Amino acid sequence: MVPTAFDYQRASSVGEAVTLLAESGGNAKILAGGHSLIPTLKLRLARPATLIDIGRVDELKGISEDGDTIVIGALATHDEVATSDVVQAKAPNVAAAAAAIGDLQVRNCGTIGGALVHADPASDYPAAILTDEAEMVVQGPGGSRTVSAADFFVDIFATAVQEDELLTAVRVSARAAGTGSAYLKFPNPASGYAVVGCAANVTMDGGKCASAKVAFNGVANVAFRDAGVEDAITGTGADAAAIAAAAECAGNGQECMSDTFASAEFRAHLAKVYAGRALAAAVADAS
Amino acid sequence: MPCSSNRTMCSRGSERYRITTESLTNGFNVNKSSGYTYIGKPRKSIEGGRKVTGSEPYTSDLAIAGMHHARPVLSPYAHAGIGAVDKSEALAVPGVTHVLTAADLLTRDAVIKSRNTCTLAGDRVIFTGQPVAVVIARSAEAAETGAELVHIEYDVRPVAANFMTASGPDAPEIWPDGLPGDQSIADGHATVDEKAATKEVEKPKNVHHIHRHERGDVEKALAAADVVVRRNYRTARVHQGYLEPMVSIAVPDPMSSGVTIYLPCQTPVWTRDAIAELLGFEKRQVRLVSMTVGGGFGSKNGILDPLVAACALATGRPVSMVLTRTEDFLTTTPSAGGGWDIEIGAAKSGAITALRADIRSDAGAFASGLGSLLALLTGSYYKFPNLLVEVAEVNTNTPHCGPYRAPGAPQAAFALESTIDDLARELQIDPLEFRLQNCVETGDLTVSDSPWSSVGLKTCLERLREHPAWRDRNCAANEGVGIAIAIWPGGACPSSTVCRVSGDGVVTVHIGSPDISGTHSGLVLVAAETLTVSPDQVEIVTGDSDTNPHSVDAAGSMVTYSLTGAVLEAATGVKTKLLEAAAEKLEAHVDDLLLENGAVHVNGVPDRRLTIAELAAEAETNAGGPGPIMADGRAAVPINAPAATVQLVKVHVDRQTGEVTPLHMVAVQDVGKALNPLMIEGQMHGGAVQGLGFALHERMVYDDDGQLISASFLDYDLPKAHQVPTIETVIIETPSPEGALGVRGVGEPPIIPGAAAVGNAIRDATGVRINELPMRPEVVWRAIEKDHGTHS
Repeated sequence: MVPTAFDYQRASSVGEAVTLLAESGGNAKILAGGHSLIPTLKLRLARPATLIDIGRVDELKGISEDGDTIVIGALATHDEVATSDVVQAKAPNVAAAAAAIGDLQVRNCGTIGGALVHADPASDYPAAILTDEAEMVVQGPGGSRTVSAADFFVDIFATAVQEDELLTAVRVSARAAGTGSAYLKFPNPASGYAVVGCAANVTMDGGKCASAKVAFNGVANVAFRDAGVEDAITGTGADAAAIAAAAECAGNGQECMSDTFASAEFRAHLAKVYAGRALAAAVADAS
Repeated sequence: MPCSSNRTMCSRGSERYRITTESLTNGFNVNKSSGYTYIGKPRKSIEGGRKVTGSEPYTSDLAIAGMHHARPVLSPYAHAGIGAVDKSEALAVPGVTHVLTAADLLTRDAVIKSRNTCTLAGDRVIFTGQPVAVVIARSAEAAETGAELVHIEYDVRPVAANFMTASGPDAPEIWPDGLPGDQSIADGHATVDEKAATKEVEKPKNVHHIHRHERGDVEKALAAADVVVRRNYRTARVHQGYLEPMVSIAVPDPMSSGVTIYLPCQTPVWTRDAIAELLGFEKRQVRLVSMTVGGGFGSKNGILDPLVAACALATGRPVSMVLTRTEDFLTTTPSAGGGWDIEIGAAKSGAITALRADIRSDAGAFASGLGSLLALLTGSYYKFPNLLVEVAEVNTNTPHCGPYRAPGAPQAAFALESTIDDLARELQIDPLEFRLQNCVETGDLTVSDSPWSSVGLKTCLERLREHPAWRDRNCAANEGVGIAIAIWPGGACPSSTVCRVSGDGVVTVHIGSPDISGTHSGLVLVAAETLTVSPDQVEIVTGDSDTNPHSVDAAGSMVTYSLTGAVLEAATGVKTKLLEAAAEKLEAHVDDLLLENGAVHVNGVPDRRLTIAELAAEAETNAGGPGPIMADGRAAVPINAPAATVQLVKVHVDRQTGEVTPLHMVAVQDVGKALNPLMIEGQMHGGAVQGLGFALHERMVYDDDGQLISASFLDYDLPKAHQVPTIETVIIETPSPEGALGVRGVGEPPIIPGAAAVGNAIRDATGVRINELPMRPEVVWRAIEKDHGTHS
């Protein structure tokens, strides 16, 4: 439970952090809230030569609005995201996902940027990032680029962020009028991570479901949008029968994860249950 | 407080509270409890303030001059021969001073026959996590790096990981030449009468012990029964889950040519003796300094310490070893999982007629010593005119199963009480009334035909019958209420104490038994009451095996039961000496003196008084006087005092996800006499939560290769605060005939009935019987789905 020796560098700006990353030759880790990284170091699962601490880079902090877009700095803590009036009002799934993470101590230290880049498939943000079609702003030696939610999560613990890049912000569009939202989670009782987490945005228009975005984390190696559920509910009156029918489509075509707590078969079942519950909650929220 | 009645704070004094030697041997007249000032009154724990402020020192807080750090190298295989060990790379790490293997230790010729005797493996390993080497270094960092660089050649062999299949044709034999002599501490937890046990029978492969108890004619009785319920159950292996990881610091002692060990230890007598034997030392060459135990629940009994002592002696340095949580899961002694095939018959009248139980218990790599307890706990709670109980203890290539609070009892109660509940349903008899009709009373027989000594189970059931949570139970959809009973047989061990008063008026009580459950915070009240001083004026001295008066180890709910009489006798002896000293100074007859409020005065003349501080100071300085004020106390309680409990659980079941949410718990427990009700309530709360752990949460999972898959708290699910319901405690006081003041053991009972009560509540809520622990969501969901399939 003692990390291997490493050098420590503190960056004072995004530019300096990117430079330090480049100088490390791929042998550095970015330290933000440390809630995934420090345990990994103590278990010696990671043995970086250098830690680059971005904890005091002010330009990465805070939550602001840019027109209809909410800009969440990569260093915003889970608690800041969960309790932000703006995020709660305009991107409630992101706020609900943040509120579902760990406990208050964890939420006070862990950051949205760190969680997203860690890309644990059982973490809470991915489903909300997918339903809210967020864009991740990434800075590297060649400048800044944005990555869509659909392209961001590549594999288990792997994202589109390259070794020499730094996630700087998450841009989330405010949800459309008439949209109801929900993020519901079946937590692993030991770890608190999602066995199944389902986020839903349902836009109602004249008593009909005009559009639906439904996404899962916890179910498969990579968080995913579930087109089967979305297509099944869209165009219906989103009543109980329609929701039940749509929920039955959940997880189709996905290879579900299996662990000591929940087999793949049970996860697939829970995905259907949680699709139904999240849709019902989102529809109720829309009315 | 839920405990009894009409106590008044007034009229302290010897007329209301006089302890005589007779009362020690014949049992104390508890009607006098109304006169107690401190006994029976809730009082905060002695060390609680230090614990919550973080100032209580634990073993790993100690820094000894010249201390080196040790890291174990654990076997990655469950069964393998050990080949060459290459130490060179590890020894090259700066700061690493030694890499030790079995041949380097004093224990090199000792027979490995239990986890406690497993220092380092010599020629083979028989469970994943068995220590093979130790790296010693000047820093923890260097030791950890060194441990990664010890290269060991293993010759991997076939594995028997599952106790249900370990007797099968494909399983390797773990002990082809027989298991060397048993040495386990689990059977030290309760007095078990084995006289009728253990008929010699042919043992299947990897079965090291079979316990068999037979009474009457079971086959005939089951055939004649009006209703028979037969069930199969599986219970999981669980870990004690203490907060403080295993830790030990050993220091070579040049004075005794032996070793001093600082450790959190609940069994200092047993552990010192075992270490001395293992090292080939005289007992006096092994000195244990028992530090505060950060949670033990049966486990902190000398697992790490022989190895650390051997390392200190091999290197001549003080050596510290602190396990990581994963190492605790891998290499310590969890509680056995088991399999029950159980059948109970009854007549239409509701009278139980027969029990047949076929039990397999997973001992792990060595002899568990649990078998006789499992038979006792399965076959002794009810009046079974006919019974056949057989327990097979099975060896597997997994860590040695050891004691965990009420060893074997939660598992046995789950099998028994689930079946009893279904039998009541079949008979259409109220489950509480059915238990009242059939449960044992004083004098009824245990599984081995010895009579139960005084047992207050019926009173507990009658009390719960009147409790609103049972009497007025009212369940919404998918809610249910379940109950279950338990008796912990208890035990006792001869114990002694020394009590003294020093010149500053501080009363000191020397107690050899470590406090793992609040026992000291109860015993201190006995001394305070006797000497009429505030409990804050009484100090407990404990922890050093060189100076401890011999006393019971902290196991099996034995401490309060074994020690109360000794503390009472020692404090009474001090009181006598104080009165004698005062008689001389006050020039009065002893019979005319009263000890009140920490001072002796002449009856009717309150001004003619001397405080105990004045009396003690005088006694310490007055040549020709009575001599310093001290007395010893001894107790050797002749029989055990069973402790009964009944628990009620109300649950909600989510039929879609299988999630079970406990909504409310009521724990009724007979404690004989509550010395410190606050400590007892804490024990009842903690035990109830651990019972919920058995019920709904905890499970160690091994794969077919004997690899532990649930090796951290990310996967091993301990119950957490937000998952625990309100727990109401009801303390019953049925005085034990032999325990001083009527006390009984307290610690074990509250962990026992919870799992069964939850299962019965789920049955009540859903109509579905869950036959597997823990009753985790997937298990409950599958059972509900299967039931649905059966009925639709």
